[in-house]
Amino acid sequence: MSGQNGQHVVQHVDLGGGRIHLMRAGAGEALLFLHPAAGAGFWLPFHDLLAERFDVISPDHPGFGESDRLDWIDGMEDLVYFYLDLLDALDLEAVHVVGASLGGWLAAELAVHQPSKVRSLVMVDPIGLDLPEHPVEDMFAMNPDELRAALFVDQELALQFISPEPTLDMLMRAFKEKTSFARLAWNPFCCNPKLHLRLHRVTAPTLILWGSDDRLVPLAHGERYRELIADARLEIVDDCGHAPLLEQPERTVEVIGRFHAELAGKGGC
Amino acid sequence: MQFFMFHLMPYPYLPDDFDERESAWVTLSNSNYDPTIGTGLYNRYLDELEYAEQLGFDGICVNEHHQNAYGTMPSPNLMAATLVRRTEKLQIAIVGNGLPLRDHPLRVAEEVAMLDVISGGRIISGFVRGIGDEYFSMSIDPSTSRERFSEAHDLIIKAWTTEGPFRWIGKHYRLNYVNVWPRPLQQPHPPIWIPAFGSTETMSWAAENHYTYLSVFAPSKLLKRWFDGYRAGANAAGYEAPRDKIGILLPIYVAETDRQAHAEGRQYVTWLYHKGLKHKFEHLFPPGYMTDHSWGRFLQSGLGAYSDVSYEDLVAQGYAVVGSPATVRERLAELAEELGFGLVNALLHIGDMPHDHTIRNMELFAREVMPHFRAQSAAA
Repeated sequence: MSGQNGQHVVQHVDLGGGRIHLMRAGAGEALLFLHPAAGAGFWLPFHDLLAERFDVISPDHPGFGESDRLDWIDGMEDLVYFYLDLLDALDLEAVHVVGASLGGWLAAELAVHQPSKVRSLVMVDPIGLDLPEHPVEDMFAMNPDELRAALFVDQELALQFISPEPTLDMLMRAFKEKTSFARLAWNPFCCNPKLHLRLHRVTAPTLILWGSDDRLVPLAHGERYRELIADARLEIVDDCGHAPLLEQPERTVEVIGRFHAELAGKGGC
Repeated sequence: MQFFMFHLMPYPYLPDDFDERESAWVTLSNSNYDPTIGTGLYNRYLDELEYAEQLGFDGICVNEHHQNAYGTMPSPNLMAATLVRRTEKLQIAIVGNGLPLRDHPLRVAEEVAMLDVISGGRIISGFVRGIGDEYFSMSIDPSTSRERFSEAHDLIIKAWTTEGPFRWIGKHYRLNYVNVWPRPLQQPHPPIWIPAFGSTETMSWAAENHYTYLSVFAPSKLLKRWFDGYRAGANAAGYEAPRDKIGILLPIYVAETDRQAHAEGRQYVTWLYHKGLKHKFEHLFPPGYMTDHSWGRFLQSGLGAYSDVSYEDLVAQGYAVVGSPATVRERLAELAEELGFGLVNALLHIGDMPHDHTIRNMELFAREVMPHFRAQSAAA
């Protein structure tokens, strides 16, 4: 799938024992986009919007989309080291990072493990924190109707992303991706219980975005991330569920754009 | 032909609005479980299994399920422990311990060895992965299910057959001192039974290891494919699978006449398949529980939920056998001929069946059906 203006190129990288699929477009400083558990392999309008300012690199995580599953990746830490290797393989010194949901958690972990690699950090409705008082809903147990209701405010739009009549290929792909996701997030469920002890290591300017009506991951997670990351800012995207980049792409990218512009103004971008 | 009596020990008192609930598993609140009723049920069910000894069964079966109304034996070893001391001749088949659901495989090795020693060698040790729902109930990552099963199995067999102490360095289990006391009485170890749901990987593996292969609830045309797969696995391993290593799990209800059997049995069989086995699809098939390959084959098979199969079709397709002694004899002979099994795990308490019907069912089955097949085996 390609955006209206978009001319993205597809690249393959052999790394870690498998072949990784990534999409890339735009020019300027490098921006690594980290996709959520569902959503690998698609180049969507928000990618194009980001590519107006950046060299956007959007890989499919190992075991997602068109990337091979790597047997040695069975936890978030493995995925973090995989991405550090990928940045080296792509010869990228430091990147801006935008991550959504699972990708947001991954972005935070990257910024914890190797702060110097992350020039700026944008997390959109990230999972990752262990907040027993504000549990993340169990998406593994949800049927398609429940998923649509949990992820989107606009249920008509939701049908575009979660089909009521999935093909065999779609079901096969969903099973593969959910399996890869389970290896990262089944237990501990959707979090690293140690992450809150480590987020003080993040040095990148940080923006946290949250859909006003996220019924999957409570806003309390966003508030906690803001408390734990120095000088982090939290912004709410109105009329929006768990996936602002899908449900409100223009407004979401606009907020991200302002954040990046401010950084540039400070000489940080 | 060998005959074992299987019991699931269901909790039949479901809420009035059960049909609107998504499942009898995972999310059906345990507020629906009344422990006072439970005391009566457990003791009644255990009495029924113990009675199988007087009726001349070869053995009895208990199994493991978690957090549901379908089967209330989260610890099959506990059930076996009470049965070991109340029986003398019966073999007691634990079918089985859910290996990936346990954090420590040596607990299984130890407990089964204890039971084998206490019983004087009457234990059969089944190993299972547990069903998908249980990966939610126990928060075990289903994508590790196969490898945890495989590693726990290898560790337990080695613990039973190798002088300890030895060291075990695996992916999921790392142990510096494996030295299981007691050792099992049966040598090299208790017989292993593998209940399975048609995965080709499991058929071949069970056959390669000369383990008994057991079917679970499915139509007979599917069972044919599974048993053929097991026989092919045995052939590939260089031997012919003996009939007594192929077992069928079959709900059976016998009454004096066909009419009476159906009039009474319909409710019990329907409870089992439409209520006890009511699952939420997403619970039953969690990610990674099957390989990508098996998932693809499952999707293409078009196999629906048990609750979509009517009572008439359940009986017609071999999910259950219901009838007079003559009818049950004929149907069982027909299925044995078609499928080639030599072991029957007869589920003689089904769903919400009361005690008196269970006892009558067991007696009619033991007196009017089993002898026919025993005489046949003797003649052969």
